[in-house]
Amino acid sequence: MKRVLLVLLVLLSANAFSTEDSYQFESAQQRETFLTLTQELRCPMCQNQNIADSDAMIAHDMRRKVYSLVQEGKSEKEVIDYMKARYGDFVHYQPPVTLATLWLWLTPLLFVLLALTFVLLRKKSAVSEDVEEKLAKANAMLEQEK
Amino acid sequence: MKKSALVVIPLALFCILIGFLFRGLFSDPRTLDSQAKDNPVPHFELPDLMTPATLYTPEVFNGEVTIMNVWGVWCVTCAVELPFLTHLKESEQVRFVGLYFDQDLDPDFGTKTLARVQQEVTTMLGRFGNPYEFNIFDVYRDTSLDLGVTGAPEHFLIDANGVIRMHYVGDINERVWVNKVKPVYDVLVQERNAMLVDSAGGAQ
Repeated sequence: MKRVLLVLLVLLSANAFSTEDSYQFESAQQRETFLTLTQELRCPMCQNQNIADSDAMIAHDMRRKVYSLVQEGKSEKEVIDYMKARYGDFVHYQPPVTLATLWLWLTPLLFVLLALTFVLLRKKSAVSEDVEEKLAKANAMLEQEK
Repeated sequence: MKKSALVVIPLALFCILIGFLFRGLFSDPRTLDSQAKDNPVPHFELPDLMTPATLYTPEVFNGEVTIMNVWGVWCVTCAVELPFLTHLKESEQVRFVGLYFDQDLDPDFGTKTLARVQQEVTTMLGRFGNPYEFNIFDVYRDTSLDLGVTGAPEHFLIDANGVIRMHYVGDINERVWVNKVKPVYDVLVQERNAMLVDSAGGAQ
């Protein structure tokens, strides 16, 4: 039970926001957009943190910019494109599919295929060998017993 | 035939992996592709740091090769590179323009007054050298954001047409200057001189 609680605590604390700036929103919809965006956008300074979690100055500035863009009525995609135009694809946690990033999806698939063919091929040959070997052994034993 | 494939394929995969990881040893995860490079300086209208009544626009970059240096008094590395930048200005007549932004003069929860920032800047430049022709004060750090600045110091090599030709993150020291920045800078100066000769020829 304690362990479960601990795991729960650890999991839940990861979602806690460090965003203490008090931004006011006109609608719940805008608030939702702001929260999604700050979680999806990556801080260019302290990498591996989103801008909601990071306390770097650049993250503050980006949050403020996201806020003002959302206030202007910009869509999620427009805000992401705005940031990408300045900080590159890096700034969004969802990488675009390009020739270079295609391998992120392809490599696991390739590995599964490779492993599958390997297992199948191996199984076939192993079984046939085994049976023949065992037959030979059995025959030999039979011969001995006579 | 099949046996050899069993050796060759894993070996090849292993070699690819080693190559990949070996490259990773020398790659810096912090280097990002600059989006500002090869684009004109984004539009801005910002005050001079010392005399806020003066306003600057990207036109200040026309006609001269400029290194725009993003800096602040709170940035330790900036203090380290100031003497070298000053040396470059004096020995090679490099034109430096500062893009100044302050951390504590935060629009959200600012604690510093402008007068205090100005005084700190004067003190720091007096102590380490002043390479700047003037300093553009990026009050809300909007221009820094437009330029894709992630911190300080950062440098933008701007050609005589106001186009950013190089974005260098980190301090400029002797080694960086000779190996990375100077080659690009020299090309830009040559381009500018060619441009001047052309326009002079056209005027005759």
